[in-house]
Amino acid sequence: MRRSAVWIVLAVVVGIAVVSCGISGAAPQGAGHAASVSLSLTTVPTIRSVTVSPAKAAFGTCSGGLASRNTLSTAGKLGFPNGRCFVGLASPGIYPITITNTGIASDIYVNGTSANPADNGDQWVLCGQGHDGTVACTGRDGRPGTDQYRVETFSPAGERAAGLGTTPRCDNEFDAAHGCWAVEGASQSEGIELVGPSVSSDTSTKWTMTITWTPVPSQG
Amino acid sequence: MHLRLWLPVASGLLMLAAPVAADASVGVGVQAGPVRLAGAAHPGGTYALPPVYVVNTGTQPESVAIRVERISRGTGRTVPPSWIRVSALPSQLGHGQSARVPLDLVVPAAARPGQYFSDVVVTGSASLTAGGANLGVAAATDLEFRVASGAVAQPWFSMPTWVLVAAAAIVVLVVAAVLVSRSGIRIRIEREPVGVAGGGGGYEA
Repeated sequence: MRRSAVWIVLAVVVGIAVVSCGISGAAPQGAGHAASVSLSLTTVPTIRSVTVSPAKAAFGTCSGGLASRNTLSTAGKLGFPNGRCFVGLASPGIYPITITNTGIASDIYVNGTSANPADNGDQWVLCGQGHDGTVACTGRDGRPGTDQYRVETFSPAGERAAGLGTTPRCDNEFDAAHGCWAVEGASQSEGIELVGPSVSSDTSTKWTMTITWTPVPSQG
Repeated sequence: MHLRLWLPVASGLLMLAAPVAADASVGVGVQAGPVRLAGAAHPGGTYALPPVYVVNTGTQPESVAIRVERISRGTGRTVPPSWIRVSALPSQLGHGQSARVPLDLVVPAAARPGQYFSDVVVTGSASLTAGGANLGVAAATDLEFRVASGAVAQPWFSMPTWVLVAAAAIVVLVVAAVLVSRSGIRIRIEREPVGVAGGGGGYEA
């Protein structure tokens, strides 16, 4: 009894399988052969990205400092107080760093970090004009004070006089109308100007800092 | 003679190699579309956000870091960075390589309802040095979600996972015992007498 029931169930399952295969697999009589056309489509980028490619460059053309204290800048070494060094030159225009928007049109922002001494001692803090999120420089005539430094970028479009902050802000070098809008493939060549502190608490002679460019969604 | 021939060749190769070094770049990319939670979040809930797409657009291998920071303009409360958990970051991405990084949104029980907005900022670890200044790259995309009022819905019955595992183990053992007892199999445990065990390997005088 049980065996016969199993055979019946098996026969029903096989029958359903055969019928369903026939329904899906057989082409209707008189139907033509299928033909297809290959199509390809290219879309605009859906990635927001940036690349930075410096040519060989170094901080140089340093000036400032005090000869009377034996802390005058030399060609490649920053002096005190408030020595000044460049990557590239504003005049004549040498702009060694190239920032390229390799993705969708975006605003290009830029920011810096505190400068770290080789001995991991006291940092130099970025300072600027005191608005737009930057710490105000506390030195004479708006120059960096003790353990402060200022970084500005410059390009054929002009100089970012406000100085970089640690919070990303619009890189005005990208847009002559004081915006930072960059379409896909747009690039800008820039240089860097650094003004050192009036006094450095740390005695290290090697310092590192990072300048970062960030494409961000534009609300415009 | 050979040296004279090789010198121009070697210097030519060096000249060819120089532009390659000069063209080294650092780059990073992120999906342009915003990272957006489909429905509303509730205080006390944890939600899986859509994974964020990241790509290395530079020439150098790099790892990436992800942080939440409000950079671009948008409406809504700023997302506290501690609400976003980043897991499974790729250890390293080669040139042109990409990855999707899972993000979790953890909404505290005391979160205020409303629209929230910030940016997911992806930073590349690679940097190029321009005379003591490291040049870095990052890319940002919007992060958007809404927190609705009312705590997250809890199931009517819940218990810790370890309790469920223990209960399941007990049920399995009981079923196994019943099956064995009904099958007629008898398991008898006997102890061999000490004298017999010792006699097998000993000597008799």
